[in-house]
Amino acid sequence: MSTMSLGVALFLLVNLVAALVTAARGPTPADRMLTALLFGSTGVGVLALLAHAMGIPALVDVALTLALLAAIAGIAFARRAWHGGHEESPDD
Amino acid sequence: MIDLASDALLLVGAFFYFAGTVGLVRFPDVYTRLHALAKADNLGLGCVLAGLALQAESLAAALKLLLIWPLVLAASAAVSYAIAHRAEALGVAPWRREEK
Amino acid sequence: MGFAFDLLLALALLWSAWRTLATPDIFRAVILFIVFGLLLTLVWSRLAAPDIALAEAAIGAGLTGALLLDAIGVLRGRKKS
Repeated sequence: MSTMSLGVALFLLVNLVAALVTAARGPTPADRMLTALLFGSTGVGVLALLAHAMGIPALVDVALTLALLAAIAGIAFARRAWHGGHEESPDD
Repeated sequence: MIDLASDALLLVGAFFYFAGTVGLVRFPDVYTRLHALAKADNLGLGCVLAGLALQAESLAAALKLLLIWPLVLAASAAVSYAIAHRAEALGVAPWRREEK
Repeated sequence: MGFAFDLLLALALLWSAWRTLATPDIFRAVILFIVFGLLLTLVWSRLAAPDIALAEAAIGAGLTGALLLDAIGVLRGRKKS
């Protein structure tokens, strides 16, 4: 059954690449931050699937750490980094 | 039977992840994108983790997989609240359909 | 299927690294740096090195990202006042 979990992990990685190619679009900084949060939540799923597909249970711990620290980055953004609504961006 | 249920849960989870990514790419403003990201992605993660927990070797491993989900739910709810609160405090207007 | 996964992962890693270095907007560069850290975590776990993946997820993607975001907030606040 590890073929199945690796296939789903590949599908989620395709999702991530699609989000990366259109990544970091405006109009506000929060829209860009949401790309990083999407990578956090999808990365947890990919890591759990990889832990099953490759037979390394320790990767579940990595997924837990990733979930926790992506949330810390999101809180740091909302509380400390975001001061203005629309900012100048040359190539939007 | 258990394998079949696990595969079905994995596929459902992949579908919800796909819906979350499409929502993030296509939706027009912060609030709607938060809505897509926080709900669809976490539901997808829950389905994937449940599917994997069905195939775990031991009860402890299955419970550990299932314990990730409440953590991610709580973290995502906190982050979504913080970002939406900040967006409203900064005066980001919610998106409305343009009237012609 | 494993080969396709690895190829796509390597391409995404190189692409995000290049975008991080080439982006003029500093906030966007920080976002791309966080994304790069997450992809690097996936690369380490794909290479069957969960300990380095753990360190990368904690330090590279999480703590450094939060510190850089905080630094941007301090810099923007100072510019405004």
